[in-house]
Amino acid sequence: MGNSVMGDLSSQLRVALHRVQDWPYPDQIDHGLYQAYMKTPHDVGGEPDAPALFEDKEEEQWELNTFVTCEVLGWRGIWTSEERRRIGNVDLGRTNYLGLPYYGRWLWAVARVLVEKRHITLGELIERVSEVRDRHADGSGPLDAAPRTTGDVEAVARNRHHLDAVGKGDPQCFAGTAGTPAFAVGDTVSVRELPTIFYTRTQEYLRGARGTVAKVSYESLAPEDEAFDREDQESEWFYIVRFRMADLWEAYTGCANDTLQAEISERWLRPAI
Amino acid sequence: MADTDRDGSGHGTHEHAGTAPVVEEVTDFEVLEIALRELAIEKGLFTADDHRRYTEHVEQLEPAAGSRFVARAWLDPDFKRLALDDAIAASREMGIDWLHPTGFGTPSDFTAFELLEDTPTVHHVIVCTLCSCYPRPMLGMSPEWYRTPNYRRRIVRWPRQVLAEFGLYLPEDVEVRVEDSNSKHRFMVLPVRPDGTEGWSEEQLAEIVTRDCLIGVALPRPGVTSTASRPVHPAIRPVHGD
Repeated sequence: MGNSVMGDLSSQLRVALHRVQDWPYPDQIDHGLYQAYMKTPHDVGGEPDAPALFEDKEEEQWELNTFVTCEVLGWRGIWTSEERRRIGNVDLGRTNYLGLPYYGRWLWAVARVLVEKRHITLGELIERVSEVRDRHADGSGPLDAAPRTTGDVEAVARNRHHLDAVGKGDPQCFAGTAGTPAFAVGDTVSVRELPTIFYTRTQEYLRGARGTVAKVSYESLAPEDEAFDREDQESEWFYIVRFRMADLWEAYTGCANDTLQAEISERWLRPAI
Repeated sequence: MADTDRDGSGHGTHEHAGTAPVVEEVTDFEVLEIALRELAIEKGLFTADDHRRYTEHVEQLEPAAGSRFVARAWLDPDFKRLALDDAIAASREMGIDWLHPTGFGTPSDFTAFELLEDTPTVHHVIVCTLCSCYPRPMLGMSPEWYRTPNYRRRIVRWPRQVLAEFGLYLPEDVEVRVEDSNSKHRFMVLPVRPDGTEGWSEEQLAEIVTRDCLIGVALPRPGVTSTASRPVHPAIRPVHGD
Protein backbone atom coordinates (compact mmCIF):
# COMPACT_ATOMS: atom_id res chain seq x y z
CA MET A 1 0.00 0.00 0.00
CA GLY A 2 0.96 3.59 -0.52
CA ASN A 3 1.78 4.16 3.11
CA SER A 4 3.49 0.93 4.03
CA VAL A 5 6.84 2.76 4.30
CA MET A 6 7.87 0.54 1.42
CA GLY A 7 7.45 -2.63 3.42
CA ASP A 8 10.29 -1.81 5.81
CA LEU A 9 9.22 -3.04 9.23
CA SER A 10 12.26 -1.89 11.20
CA SER A 11 11.59 1.75 10.48
CA GLN A 12 8.08 1.31 11.80
CA LEU A 13 9.07 0.02 15.24
CA ARG A 14 8.04 2.56 17.83
CA VAL A 15 8.91 3.14 21.42
CA ALA A 16 5.54 3.52 23.09
CA LEU A 17 4.08 3.89 26.53
CA HIS A 18 0.80 2.04 26.64
CA ARG A 19 -1.43 3.15 29.46
CA VAL A 20 -3.64 0.32 30.63
CA GLN A 21 -6.94 2.11 30.87
CA ASP A 22 -10.51 1.79 29.66
CA TRP A 23 -12.09 5.14 28.89
CA PRO A 24 -10.59 8.26 30.44
CA TYR A 25 -12.17 10.34 33.17
CA PRO A 26 -13.86 13.56 31.95
CA ASP A 27 -11.16 15.76 33.47
CA GLN A 28 -8.55 13.93 31.40
CA ILE A 29 -9.97 15.19 28.09
CA ASP A 30 -9.05 18.80 27.40
CA HIS A 31 -10.35 20.77 24.42
CA GLY A 32 -7.49 19.78 22.14
CA LEU A 33 -7.94 16.08 22.80
CA TYR A 34 -11.71 16.40 22.46
CA GLN A 35 -11.26 18.01 19.04
CA ALA A 36 -8.92 15.21 18.02
CA TYR A 37 -11.50 12.57 18.92
CA MET A 38 -14.30 14.50 17.20
CA LYS A 39 -12.32 15.13 14.02
CA THR A 40 -13.95 13.34 11.12
CA PRO A 41 -11.55 10.61 9.97
CA HIS A 42 -11.95 11.44 6.28
CA ASP A 43 -10.44 14.90 6.82
CA VAL A 44 -6.75 14.04 6.36
CA GLY A 45 -5.42 17.12 4.50
CA GLY A 46 -2.18 18.34 6.02
CA GLU A 47 -1.59 15.41 8.38
CA PRO A 48 2.15 14.71 8.51
CA ASP A 49 3.19 11.63 6.60
CA ALA A 50 6.32 10.19 5.06
CA PRO A 51 7.04 9.95 1.34
CA ALA A 52 5.78 6.68 -0.08
CA LEU A 53 5.63 4.82 -3.34
CA PHE A 54 2.60 5.79 -5.37
CA GLU A 55 1.04 2.57 -6.62
CA ASP A 56 -1.63 1.43 -9.02
CA LYS A 57 -3.95 -1.44 -8.29
CA GLU A 58 -5.81 -4.02 -10.26
CA GLU A 59 -9.53 -3.91 -9.47
CA GLU A 60 -11.25 -6.89 -7.87
CA GLN A 61 -14.56 -7.91 -9.39
CA TRP A 62 -16.29 -7.34 -6.03
CA GLU A 63 -14.87 -3.83 -5.93
CA LEU A 64 -16.45 -2.90 -9.25
CA ASN A 65 -19.70 -4.57 -8.19
CA THR A 66 -19.67 -2.61 -4.95
CA PHE A 67 -19.05 0.70 -6.71
CA VAL A 68 -21.90 -0.02 -9.11
CA THR A 69 -24.26 -1.04 -6.31
CA CYS A 70 -23.55 2.25 -4.53
CA GLU A 71 -24.17 4.26 -7.67
CA VAL A 72 -27.34 2.36 -8.54
CA LEU A 73 -28.67 2.96 -5.02
CA GLY A 74 -28.19 6.67 -5.76
CA TRP A 75 -29.75 6.37 -9.19
CA ARG A 76 -32.84 4.74 -7.69
CA GLY A 77 -33.21 7.19 -4.81
CA ILE A 78 -32.20 5.01 -1.86
CA TRP A 79 -29.49 7.49 -0.83
CA THR A 80 -27.44 10.40 -2.09
CA SER A 81 -23.71 10.01 -2.54
CA GLU A 82 -23.27 12.39 0.39
CA GLU A 83 -25.03 9.91 2.67
CA ARG A 84 -22.69 7.23 1.35
CA ARG A 85 -19.64 9.40 2.10
CA ARG A 86 -20.87 10.18 5.60
CA ILE A 87 -21.50 6.53 6.44
CA GLY A 88 -18.51 4.94 4.72
CA ASN A 89 -15.86 7.62 5.32
CA VAL A 90 -16.78 8.96 8.73
CA ASP A 91 -19.41 7.03 10.67
CA LEU A 92 -17.39 3.84 10.64
CA GLY A 93 -14.68 5.45 12.78
CA ARG A 94 -10.98 6.05 12.43
CA THR A 95 -9.82 2.50 13.06
CA ASN A 96 -11.93 1.04 10.28
CA TYR A 97 -11.37 4.06 8.05
CA LEU A 98 -7.67 3.32 7.99
CA GLY A 99 -8.01 -0.43 8.50
CA LEU A 100 -10.38 -1.53 5.75
CA PRO A 101 -9.69 -1.43 2.00
CA TYR A 102 -11.16 1.49 0.07
CA TYR A 103 -14.12 -0.40 -1.36
CA GLY A 104 -14.47 -2.38 1.87
CA ARG A 105 -15.75 0.89 3.34
CA TRP A 106 -18.14 1.46 0.43
CA LEU A 107 -19.53 -2.01 1.06
CA TRP A 108 -19.86 -1.35 4.79
CA ALA A 109 -21.87 1.76 3.91
CA VAL A 110 -24.28 -0.24 1.73
CA ALA A 111 -24.95 -2.69 4.54
CA ARG A 112 -25.42 0.10 7.01
CA VAL A 113 -27.82 2.18 4.92
CA LEU A 114 -30.02 -0.77 3.97
CA VAL A 115 -30.44 -1.74 7.61
CA GLU A 116 -30.83 1.79 8.97
CA LYS A 117 -33.39 2.78 6.35
CA ARG A 118 -35.32 -0.40 7.14
CA HIS A 119 -35.01 -1.91 3.65
CA ILE A 120 -33.63 -5.09 5.20
CA THR A 121 -33.34 -6.35 8.74
CA LEU A 122 -29.99 -7.13 10.25
CA GLY A 123 -31.21 -10.69 10.74
CA GLU A 124 -31.83 -11.05 7.00
CA LEU A 125 -28.37 -9.78 6.26
CA ILE A 126 -26.66 -12.05 8.73
CA GLU A 127 -28.50 -15.11 7.41
CA ARG A 128 -27.79 -14.22 3.80
CA VAL A 129 -24.08 -13.65 4.39
CA SER A 130 -23.91 -17.04 6.08
CA GLU A 131 -25.79 -18.69 3.23
CA VAL A 132 -23.65 -17.11 0.50
CA ARG A 133 -20.53 -18.24 2.33
CA ASP A 134 -21.84 -21.83 2.52
CA ARG A 135 -22.83 -21.74 -1.14
CA HIS A 136 -19.28 -20.90 -2.19
CA ALA A 137 -17.44 -22.81 0.51
CA ASP A 138 -16.02 -25.43 -1.83
CA GLY A 139 -14.87 -22.85 -4.40
CA SER A 140 -17.14 -24.27 -7.09
CA GLY A 141 -19.91 -22.60 -9.02
CA PRO A 142 -20.06 -19.04 -10.32
CA LEU A 143 -19.28 -16.40 -7.74
CA ASP A 144 -22.23 -14.15 -8.39
CA ALA A 145 -25.51 -12.93 -6.99
CA ALA A 146 -28.49 -15.22 -7.40
CA PRO A 147 -31.54 -13.28 -6.22
CA ARG A 148 -34.49 -15.58 -5.54
CA THR A 149 -37.15 -13.06 -6.47
CA THR A 150 -37.51 -9.58 -7.86
CA GLY A 151 -39.08 -7.17 -5.44
CA ASP A 152 -41.87 -4.68 -5.91
CA VAL A 153 -40.06 -1.51 -6.96
CA GLU A 154 -43.20 0.57 -6.41
CA ALA A 155 -43.37 -0.29 -2.72
CA VAL A 156 -39.94 1.11 -1.85
CA ALA A 157 -39.44 4.46 -0.05
CA ARG A 158 -37.18 6.66 -2.19
CA ASN A 159 -35.90 10.23 -2.04
CA ARG A 160 -37.28 13.10 -4.15
CA HIS A 161 -33.86 13.98 -5.49
CA HIS A 162 -33.54 11.05 -7.91
CA LEU A 163 -36.66 12.32 -9.73
CA ASP A 164 -36.26 16.09 -9.28
CA ALA A 165 -32.75 16.09 -10.77
CA VAL A 166 -33.62 14.18 -13.95
CA GLY A 167 -32.90 16.21 -17.07
CA LYS A 168 -31.20 18.90 -14.98
CA GLY A 169 -28.32 17.30 -13.13
CA ASP A 170 -26.98 17.99 -9.67
CA PRO A 171 -26.29 20.79 -8.55
CA GLN A 172 -28.31 22.31 -11.45
CA CYS A 173 -31.49 20.93 -9.85
CA PHE A 174 -31.01 23.47 -7.03
CA ALA A 175 -30.61 26.49 -9.35
CA GLY A 176 -32.69 29.50 -8.34
CA THR A 177 -33.46 28.24 -4.84
CA ALA A 178 -30.91 30.11 -2.68
CA GLY A 179 -31.60 33.76 -3.43
CA THR A 180 -28.77 36.23 -3.89
CA PRO A 181 -25.22 35.09 -3.18
CA ALA A 182 -23.71 36.90 -0.21
CA PHE A 183 -20.25 37.05 -1.79
CA ALA A 184 -18.86 37.99 -5.19
CA VAL A 185 -15.66 37.12 -7.02
CA GLY A 186 -12.79 39.05 -5.46
CA ASP A 187 -14.35 39.35 -2.01
CA THR A 188 -12.09 38.57 0.92
CA VAL A 189 -13.64 35.99 3.21
CA SER A 190 -12.64 33.96 6.22
CA VAL A 191 -13.63 30.40 7.06
CA ARG A 192 -15.58 30.11 10.29
CA GLU A 193 -14.18 28.06 13.14
CA LEU A 194 -17.30 26.05 13.83
CA PRO A 195 -17.11 22.86 15.87
CA THR A 196 -16.96 19.54 14.06
CA ILE A 197 -19.86 17.26 14.90
CA PHE A 198 -20.53 14.14 12.83
CA TYR A 199 -20.00 15.47 9.30
CA THR A 200 -18.79 18.35 7.18
CA ARG A 201 -16.89 18.92 3.96
CA THR A 202 -15.19 22.08 5.24
CA GLN A 203 -11.72 20.85 5.97
CA GLU A 204 -10.12 21.47 9.33
CA TYR A 205 -7.00 22.90 7.72
CA LEU A 206 -9.06 25.77 6.29
CA ARG A 207 -10.75 26.81 9.52
CA GLY A 208 -10.04 30.41 10.41
CA ALA A 209 -8.13 31.04 7.18
CA ARG A 210 -8.56 34.13 5.00
CA GLY A 211 -9.06 33.72 1.27
CA THR A 212 -10.46 35.34 -1.83
CA VAL A 213 -13.59 34.23 -3.68
CA ALA A 214 -12.44 32.91 -7.08
CA LYS A 215 -15.81 31.67 -8.32
CA VAL A 216 -19.45 31.80 -7.27
CA SER A 217 -20.11 28.12 -7.93
CA TYR A 218 -23.69 26.92 -7.61
CA GLU A 219 -26.56 26.45 -5.21
CA SER A 220 -26.99 23.16 -3.37
CA LEU A 221 -28.02 21.64 -0.11
CA ALA A 222 -25.11 21.84 2.31
CA PRO A 223 -23.23 18.57 2.94
CA GLU A 224 -24.29 18.70 6.59
CA ASP A 225 -27.91 18.35 5.39
CA GLU A 226 -27.46 16.20 2.31
CA ALA A 227 -25.45 13.65 4.29
CA PHE A 228 -28.45 13.09 6.57
CA ASP A 229 -31.12 12.93 3.87
CA ARG A 230 -32.58 16.32 4.83
CA GLU A 231 -34.30 17.20 1.57
CA ASP A 232 -36.56 19.50 3.56
CA GLN A 233 -33.71 21.97 4.19
CA GLU A 234 -32.89 25.14 2.24
CA SER A 235 -30.12 25.17 -0.32
CA GLU A 236 -27.30 27.70 -0.20
CA TRP A 237 -24.54 29.19 -2.38
CA PHE A 238 -21.14 27.59 -2.73
CA TYR A 239 -17.91 29.40 -3.56
CA ILE A 240 -14.48 28.40 -4.78
CA VAL A 241 -12.14 30.24 -2.45
CA ARG A 242 -8.45 30.77 -3.11
CA PHE A 243 -6.01 30.71 -0.19
CA ARG A 244 -2.31 31.48 -0.03
CA MET A 245 -0.43 28.39 1.09
CA ALA A 246 1.63 30.57 3.40
CA ASP A 247 -1.62 31.57 5.16
CA LEU A 248 -2.69 27.94 5.65
CA TRP A 249 0.53 26.37 6.86
CA GLU A 250 2.97 27.66 9.40
CA ALA A 251 6.45 27.75 7.90
CA TYR A 252 5.23 26.75 4.45
CA THR A 253 8.33 25.65 2.59
CA GLY A 254 7.12 26.15 -0.99
CA CYS A 255 7.05 29.49 -2.80
CA ALA A 256 5.36 32.61 -1.50
CA ASN A 257 2.83 32.74 -4.34
CA ASP A 258 1.67 29.09 -4.11
CA THR A 259 -2.09 28.78 -3.59
CA LEU A 260 -4.86 26.32 -2.81
CA GLN A 261 -8.52 26.40 -3.76
CA ALA A 262 -11.49 24.68 -2.17
CA GLU A 263 -15.26 24.88 -2.59
CA ILE A 264 -17.11 26.00 0.52
CA SER A 265 -20.75 26.55 1.38
CA GLU A 266 -21.96 29.98 2.44
CA ARG A 267 -22.68 29.04 6.06
CA TRP A 268 -18.95 28.48 6.61
CA LEU A 269 -17.86 31.89 5.28
CA ARG A 270 -17.83 35.39 6.76
CA PRO A 271 -16.57 38.66 5.30
CA ALA A 272 -12.94 38.93 6.35
CA ILE A 273 -12.32 41.64 8.91
CA MET B 1 9.36 -5.69 0.66
CA ALA B 2 7.57 -8.94 1.31
CA ASP B 3 3.95 -8.00 0.93
CA THR B 4 4.05 -5.67 -2.03
CA ASP B 5 4.10 -6.70 -5.63
CA ARG B 6 7.00 -4.85 -7.21
CA ASP B 7 6.71 -5.74 -10.86
CA GLY B 8 2.99 -6.19 -11.33
CA SER B 9 3.39 -9.85 -12.22
CA GLY B 10 0.96 -10.96 -9.56
CA HIS B 11 3.67 -12.79 -7.65
CA GLY B 12 4.32 -11.55 -4.18
CA THR B 13 1.10 -11.23 -2.26
CA HIS B 14 -0.32 -14.50 -3.51
CA GLU B 15 2.60 -16.77 -4.03
CA HIS B 16 1.49 -19.85 -5.93
CA ALA B 17 3.88 -22.75 -5.96
CA GLY B 18 4.71 -23.87 -9.46
CA THR B 19 1.83 -23.84 -11.89
CA ALA B 20 -0.67 -25.83 -9.85
CA PRO B 21 -4.07 -24.12 -9.95
CA VAL B 22 -5.00 -22.72 -6.57
CA VAL B 23 -8.61 -22.22 -5.61
CA GLU B 24 -8.68 -18.93 -3.74
CA GLU B 25 -11.05 -18.96 -0.83
CA VAL B 26 -13.98 -16.65 -1.23
CA THR B 27 -13.30 -13.44 0.72
CA ASP B 28 -15.47 -11.73 3.30
CA PHE B 29 -15.87 -8.80 0.94
CA GLU B 30 -17.05 -10.99 -1.92
CA VAL B 31 -19.58 -12.71 0.31
CA LEU B 32 -20.95 -9.47 1.73
CA GLU B 33 -21.14 -7.86 -1.71
CA ILE B 34 -23.15 -10.75 -3.13
CA ALA B 35 -25.45 -10.93 -0.11
CA LEU B 36 -26.24 -7.22 -0.28
CA ARG B 37 -26.83 -7.22 -4.02
CA GLU B 38 -29.17 -10.20 -3.76
CA LEU B 39 -31.17 -8.58 -0.95
CA ALA B 40 -31.35 -5.21 -2.72
CA ILE B 41 -32.74 -6.84 -5.85
CA GLU B 42 -35.17 -9.03 -3.89
CA LYS B 43 -36.47 -5.97 -2.02
CA GLY B 44 -36.99 -4.03 -5.26
CA LEU B 45 -34.42 -1.32 -4.45
CA PHE B 46 -33.00 -1.77 -7.92
CA THR B 47 -33.06 -4.44 -10.61
CA ALA B 48 -30.34 -6.75 -11.86
CA ASP B 49 -30.72 -4.93 -15.17
CA ASP B 50 -30.01 -1.56 -13.50
CA HIS B 51 -26.80 -3.03 -12.12
CA ARG B 52 -25.78 -4.46 -15.48
CA ARG B 53 -26.51 -1.22 -17.33
CA TYR B 54 -24.54 0.87 -14.87
CA THR B 55 -21.63 -1.58 -15.03
CA GLU B 56 -21.58 -1.17 -18.81
CA HIS B 57 -21.49 2.60 -18.36
CA VAL B 58 -18.51 2.35 -16.02
CA GLU B 59 -16.63 -0.09 -18.22
CA GLN B 60 -16.61 2.24 -21.22
CA LEU B 61 -15.09 5.16 -19.28
CA GLU B 62 -11.42 5.87 -19.96
CA PRO B 63 -8.89 8.69 -19.60
CA ALA B 64 -8.61 8.90 -23.41
CA ALA B 65 -11.66 11.18 -23.38
CA GLY B 66 -9.79 13.72 -21.28
CA SER B 67 -6.75 13.50 -23.55
CA ARG B 68 -8.86 14.21 -26.64
CA PHE B 69 -10.57 17.06 -24.80
CA VAL B 70 -7.24 18.77 -24.10
CA ALA B 71 -5.84 18.15 -27.59
CA ARG B 72 -8.91 19.73 -29.10
CA ALA B 73 -8.71 22.73 -26.76
CA TRP B 74 -5.09 23.24 -27.86
CA LEU B 75 -6.06 23.24 -31.53
CA ASP B 76 -9.45 24.92 -31.60
CA PRO B 77 -9.71 28.35 -29.87
CA ASP B 78 -13.52 28.32 -30.00
CA PHE B 79 -13.63 24.93 -28.30
CA LYS B 80 -11.12 26.10 -25.70
CA ARG B 81 -13.26 29.15 -24.94
CA LEU B 82 -16.32 26.95 -24.53
CA ALA B 83 -14.35 24.45 -22.41
CA LEU B 84 -13.21 27.18 -20.01
CA ASP B 85 -16.62 28.81 -19.92
CA ASP B 86 -18.85 25.72 -19.73
CA ALA B 87 -16.91 22.47 -19.56
CA ILE B 88 -20.13 20.43 -19.36
CA ALA B 89 -21.27 21.86 -22.72
CA ALA B 90 -17.81 21.28 -24.20
CA SER B 91 -17.93 17.67 -22.98
CA ARG B 92 -21.29 17.21 -24.66
CA GLU B 93 -19.81 18.49 -27.91
CA MET B 94 -17.25 15.69 -27.62
CA GLY B 95 -19.93 13.08 -27.08
CA ILE B 96 -19.64 12.90 -23.30
CA ASP B 97 -22.94 13.66 -21.60
CA TRP B 98 -22.46 14.26 -17.88
CA LEU B 99 -26.18 13.52 -17.36
CA HIS B 100 -25.56 9.89 -18.31
CA PRO B 101 -26.43 7.23 -17.40
CA THR B 102 -29.21 8.21 -14.96
CA GLY B 103 -30.60 11.36 -16.58
CA PHE B 104 -29.14 13.40 -13.69
CA GLY B 105 -25.51 12.32 -13.93
CA THR B 106 -23.65 9.71 -11.97
CA PRO B 107 -24.65 9.98 -8.30
CA SER B 108 -21.07 10.41 -7.09
CA ASP B 109 -19.63 12.69 -9.78
CA PHE B 110 -22.44 15.26 -10.05
CA THR B 111 -22.67 17.46 -13.14
CA ALA B 112 -20.42 20.43 -12.36
CA PHE B 113 -17.13 20.27 -14.26
CA GLU B 114 -14.39 22.86 -14.42
CA LEU B 115 -11.24 22.97 -16.51
CA LEU B 116 -8.17 24.40 -14.75
CA GLU B 117 -6.02 26.23 -17.29
CA ASP B 118 -2.29 26.12 -16.67
CA THR B 119 -0.16 29.02 -17.88
CA PRO B 120 3.62 29.45 -18.03
CA THR B 121 3.34 30.81 -14.45
CA VAL B 122 0.53 28.73 -12.88
CA HIS B 123 0.44 24.94 -12.47
CA HIS B 124 -2.65 23.17 -11.15
CA VAL B 125 -2.83 19.82 -9.38
CA ILE B 126 -5.98 18.04 -8.19
CA VAL B 127 -6.77 16.17 -5.00
CA CYS B 128 -9.79 15.36 -2.88
CA THR B 129 -8.60 15.45 0.71
CA LEU B 130 -11.95 14.15 2.02
CA CYS B 131 -12.48 11.11 -0.19
CA SER B 132 -11.46 10.60 -3.80
CA CYS B 133 -13.62 12.94 -5.93
CA TYR B 134 -12.42 12.65 -9.51
CA PRO B 135 -13.95 13.46 -12.92
CA ARG B 136 -14.92 9.86 -13.77
CA PRO B 137 -17.10 10.74 -16.79
CA MET B 138 -13.98 12.27 -18.35
CA LEU B 139 -11.14 10.18 -16.91
CA GLY B 140 -12.66 6.89 -15.78
CA MET B 141 -11.85 5.40 -12.39
CA SER B 142 -9.20 7.12 -10.28
CA PRO B 143 -5.83 5.45 -9.74
CA GLU B 144 -5.22 3.82 -6.37
CA TRP B 145 -2.53 6.31 -5.29
CA TYR B 146 -4.93 9.21 -5.84
CA ARG B 147 -7.26 7.70 -3.24
CA THR B 148 -4.63 7.08 -0.57
CA PRO B 149 -4.47 9.11 2.63
CA ASN B 150 -0.79 9.63 1.88
CA TYR B 151 -1.36 11.62 -1.31
CA ARG B 152 -4.36 13.42 0.21
CA ARG B 153 -2.50 14.34 3.40
CA ARG B 154 0.62 15.68 1.78
CA ILE B 155 -0.24 17.30 -1.57
CA VAL B 156 -2.15 20.16 0.09
CA ARG B 157 0.75 21.00 2.42
CA TRP B 158 3.93 19.93 0.65
CA PRO B 159 2.86 20.09 -3.01
CA ARG B 160 6.30 20.73 -4.45
CA GLN B 161 7.81 17.79 -2.59
CA VAL B 162 5.00 15.45 -3.65
CA LEU B 163 5.18 16.59 -7.27
CA ALA B 164 8.93 15.96 -7.15
CA GLU B 165 8.19 12.37 -6.09
CA PHE B 166 6.21 12.09 -9.33
CA GLY B 167 9.26 13.42 -11.17
CA LEU B 168 7.81 16.88 -11.65
CA TYR B 169 10.14 19.70 -10.56
CA LEU B 170 8.60 23.14 -10.92
CA PRO B 171 10.65 26.36 -10.96
CA GLU B 172 10.07 28.98 -8.30
CA ASP B 173 8.42 31.43 -10.68
CA VAL B 174 5.60 28.94 -11.32
CA GLU B 175 2.76 29.25 -8.80
CA VAL B 176 1.55 25.84 -7.66
CA ARG B 177 -2.23 25.92 -7.26
CA VAL B 178 -3.68 22.88 -5.50
CA GLU B 179 -7.37 22.30 -6.18
CA ASP B 180 -8.99 20.46 -3.30
CA SER B 181 -12.03 18.96 -4.98
CA ASN B 182 -14.02 18.81 -1.75
CA SER B 183 -17.56 19.60 -2.97
CA LYS B 184 -19.63 19.02 -6.13
CA HIS B 185 -17.30 20.46 -8.77
CA ARG B 186 -15.04 18.04 -10.58
CA PHE B 187 -11.80 19.32 -12.10
CA MET B 188 -9.35 18.49 -14.85
CA VAL B 189 -6.11 20.25 -15.72
CA LEU B 190 -5.60 21.89 -19.12
CA PRO B 191 -1.80 21.82 -19.37
CA VAL B 192 0.26 24.23 -21.46
CA ARG B 193 0.89 22.81 -24.91
CA PRO B 194 4.57 21.90 -24.94
CA ASP B 195 7.15 23.13 -27.42
CA GLY B 196 8.07 20.68 -30.13
CA THR B 197 4.46 19.87 -31.04
CA GLU B 198 4.01 22.44 -33.80
CA GLY B 199 1.92 21.15 -36.66
CA TRP B 200 0.79 18.03 -34.76
CA SER B 201 -2.64 16.52 -35.35
CA GLU B 202 -5.27 16.16 -32.63
CA GLU B 203 -4.48 12.43 -32.40
CA GLN B 204 -0.74 13.07 -32.00
CA LEU B 205 -1.37 15.68 -29.32
CA ALA B 206 -3.86 13.49 -27.45
CA GLU B 207 -1.22 10.75 -27.17
CA ILE B 208 1.05 12.86 -24.97
CA VAL B 209 -1.76 14.02 -22.66
CA THR B 210 -1.56 11.18 -20.15
CA ARG B 211 -3.85 10.67 -17.17
CA ASP B 212 -1.15 12.04 -14.87
CA CYS B 213 -1.05 15.27 -16.92
CA LEU B 214 -4.81 15.67 -16.47
CA ILE B 215 -4.48 15.31 -12.68
CA GLY B 216 -1.51 17.65 -12.68
CA VAL B 217 1.26 15.37 -11.40
CA ALA B 218 3.04 15.37 -14.78
CA LEU B 219 3.50 17.68 -17.76
CA PRO B 220 2.96 16.59 -21.36
CA ARG B 221 6.20 16.01 -23.24
CA PRO B 222 6.80 14.99 -26.86
CA GLY B 223 7.75 11.32 -26.88
CA VAL B 224 6.03 10.46 -23.57
CA THR B 225 2.75 8.73 -24.38
CA SER B 226 2.04 6.74 -21.26
CA THR B 227 1.64 7.41 -17.57
CA ALA B 228 4.78 6.65 -15.56
CA SER B 229 5.12 2.98 -14.74
CA ARG B 230 4.30 2.23 -11.12
CA PRO B 231 4.05 -0.91 -9.03
CA VAL B 232 0.67 -2.57 -9.55
CA HIS B 233 -0.96 -4.44 -6.70
CA PRO B 234 -2.63 -7.47 -8.28
CA ALA B 235 -6.21 -8.55 -7.67
CA ILE B 236 -7.18 -12.06 -6.52
CA ARG B 237 -10.18 -12.11 -8.87
CA PRO B 238 -9.73 -9.13 -11.18
CA VAL B 239 -12.53 -7.51 -13.14
CA HIS B 240 -13.01 -9.57 -16.28
CA GLY B 241 -10.72 -8.21 -18.96
CA ASP B 242 -8.88 -5.91 -16.56
